[in-house]
Amino acid sequence: MMKKNTDVLVIGAGLSGLMAAAKAVAQHKKVLLVAKGMGALGLSSGCIDLWGYQINQPDKVCTNPLAEIAKLVSHKPEHPYAKVADVLPESIDFFLQICHQNKISYLNTNRNWQLPTALGTLRPTYLVPQSMAVPDLAEVKELLVVGFQALKDFYPDVLITNLQKNTPLGAHCHLKTLMVKLANQELNANTLAHLLEKQAMLEQVISQIKPHVLPGMVVLFPPVLGEQLGHEVTEVLSEKLGCSVYEVANIPPALPGQRLQKALLHHLKTQGVEVIIGCQVTDAQITEKRCQGVVANSNGKIMEISAQTMVLATGSFLGGGLTSQSNEIKEAVFGLPVKVCPGKWSRQDFLSLAGQPFHEFGVAVNDQLQPLDDQGQVLLENVLITGANLAGCNYPIEKCGNGVALASGYKAGKLVGEAGR
Amino acid sequence: MTQENRLALDNCIKCSICVSHCPVAKVTERFAGPKQNGPDLERFRLEEPAAVHPSIGYCSNCKNCDVACPSGVSISAMNAKAKGEYVTLHGAPLRDKILARVEQMGKASRLAPSLVNRLGRIKPLRVLGEAMMGVSSEMTMPTYAKKTFLEMFQPKKITASKDKVLYFQGCYVNYNTPEVGMALAAVLAYHDIELTVEPFNCCGLPLIANGFLDVAREYAQKNVSKLQQYIEQGYRIITTCPSCNLTLRREYQELFDLDTSQFNEQMMDAFEFLNLLDQRGELKVELQELPKRVGYHQPCHLKAAGCGIPSLETLRHIPGLEVRDLDAGCCGLSGSYGFKKEKYPISQEIGQNISRAVQELAVDQVISECGMCQLQVHHVTGAKVYHPIQLLAEAYHLA
Repeated sequence: MMKKNTDVLVIGAGLSGLMAAAKAVAQHKKVLLVAKGMGALGLSSGCIDLWGYQINQPDKVCTNPLAEIAKLVSHKPEHPYAKVADVLPESIDFFLQICHQNKISYLNTNRNWQLPTALGTLRPTYLVPQSMAVPDLAEVKELLVVGFQALKDFYPDVLITNLQKNTPLGAHCHLKTLMVKLANQELNANTLAHLLEKQAMLEQVISQIKPHVLPGMVVLFPPVLGEQLGHEVTEVLSEKLGCSVYEVANIPPALPGQRLQKALLHHLKTQGVEVIIGCQVTDAQITEKRCQGVVANSNGKIMEISAQTMVLATGSFLGGGLTSQSNEIKEAVFGLPVKVCPGKWSRQDFLSLAGQPFHEFGVAVNDQLQPLDDQGQVLLENVLITGANLAGCNYPIEKCGNGVALASGYKAGKLVGEAGR
Repeated sequence: MTQENRLALDNCIKCSICVSHCPVAKVTERFAGPKQNGPDLERFRLEEPAAVHPSIGYCSNCKNCDVACPSGVSISAMNAKAKGEYVTLHGAPLRDKILARVEQMGKASRLAPSLVNRLGRIKPLRVLGEAMMGVSSEMTMPTYAKKTFLEMFQPKKITASKDKVLYFQGCYVNYNTPEVGMALAAVLAYHDIELTVEPFNCCGLPLIANGFLDVAREYAQKNVSKLQQYIEQGYRIITTCPSCNLTLRREYQELFDLDTSQFNEQMMDAFEFLNLLDQRGELKVELQELPKRVGYHQPCHLKAAGCGIPSLETLRHIPGLEVRDLDAGCCGLSGSYGFKKEKYPISQEIGQNISRAVQELAVDQVISECGMCQLQVHHVTGAKVYHPIQLLAEAYHLA
């Protein structure tokens, strides 16, 4: 049987796993990251949400998420943010720094942005890739939304119509839409993004848009403006069109999330982290309160991995980190107890503002991110829980998924870097 | 299709992560992508095999879809079967029938390997070949060696050999790069390990990738029964080609329902074996200093094996050597795929990531386990490309 030995084993390649690995390796630990698949980060919008709405008025966007999280921590000590609030600002700095090093720049204005989506809604978010940093729409006089006839799932007219309903636009704001026609019949987001990196193609696109551009215009595109890191299609478009150009969030596949994932994975590889995707951890060897190692299945081959510390970053139901049966929910790798809420697991009103209870299911932890039983006793001393594995947050309504992943991953990485673990 | 795989089909949650990691779908709209050709159409194919779509021919069988899928769907196996169904229904061009028969091409070239090599470099002939057969006149042809590996290799009896090791050399090493097999043999002999060789059939991957599943199944059955005998005698089977390895271990089981469960334990990449020696404290770690900087390209089928990059672990012992991972994804060649006239531009477009990475790292040498990746990396960058085992043999003073 193949054996591997490492200081830190990170299980999962989503944002929290990538952050944990990045912070651990920055502290000179030998890190191995294994994951069953590519992780949901590539399917995300690419923005980092911290906290969306005001705690006292859940229908109002909050401007300062950090202040809101401070309130939350005193209100709701079982929320994951309560376990990681101490490192939240430094985790953000660390993230921005890695992104910058890997040719993908994020903006932090210390407040929530409200970014338009492909559906013409406004979405509160905190850290935004440069290419998506749409300015305050109330200030915009001329807005043009550009779609591509060959691209499904992005309809400028839908965006504009809903935007007018949802957004306090300036009184004299002119909205226009435009469909770019290419020779291609049908393109998916990735193929289009790749094509737009070709100069000839970009020229063709520019020539169709240019006649419609007015001074001071803001032009919104689907999130397909190039795939490579450091290859700024947005910048070229903006320069050649002579106006501001942005990508708006859309359903997957979308490029900003993929670029972020690519940048973070590339960072880990250049820092010497061994990354194995397509390797599923199936079992753990536990003696007393320590995990000695895990067993993983690599395309049929069994591998034993031993590590001083393991970071669990396998996600929730979607990523397979939590498995559910009709009467029981379990954490998939270590069989840790999952904290569920008493009573009903779901609400009939699917999009209820109170959120679906099952989103809050996860593993309860202490301040050191160690898993706890229902008596509050540590179950495993050398296993740290991060991201969507954590109990107590309802990310779809709280808009905190990536924020919790970022801070908890960073904290796990920081804790394993400290001596004596 | 087994019940288990059917269930896996239902595991597809349509997240499209496979599409966004498909190197082919990224550069051409001719391939509808792994999701649509795989789980989406599989639903229809289960009822009606004729539902198979011609775009399936554009799948390069790189398996990045399988690696990316968080739900364990065997997308590439579905696509390989679909390709087989398509070829059964509609036939295949003569070119594909020839390109898929790597073993026969190797054997035929034995008549006059240097002549074959020379012909492969005559441009007008290549242009003719493209016009008449549809074989790209641009792609660098693999060169055939003067002697095959099986001809060159002199079995050496090592009394008290620490392990019983059989080498599945694969067609590319046997006919094109015997020096890779010779380097492995030297490294093992240096560790007092006797290497056994045996003529095998082609693993069948080129046949599978071209949709000739029936011929591949015959090869598979023959190879499995031979390998099984060795395993029963306590042999380990090692490979230097990641594609052969994956085909023997996984494809035989997924596509032909052959029992290869024992292969998973006993069959390993040469460097997995060396790392095992290392774990037992038996790897000789006094190595010559090699003060050079080389790029490393991970073949897709090694990535799909999910065992990491075993060679990089071993090569860490070489003092002065700096290996930089290109981290550039698929090289684009995918065996016979990039030799086809209509696919050559696709394969070159995918390969641009490799040229960019090589340029960025400013390396003029690249190591990679897969023979076809070696060819493509050289074709798109001009760099010197070879197998990591050759580097190790050099550091042991065996080259």
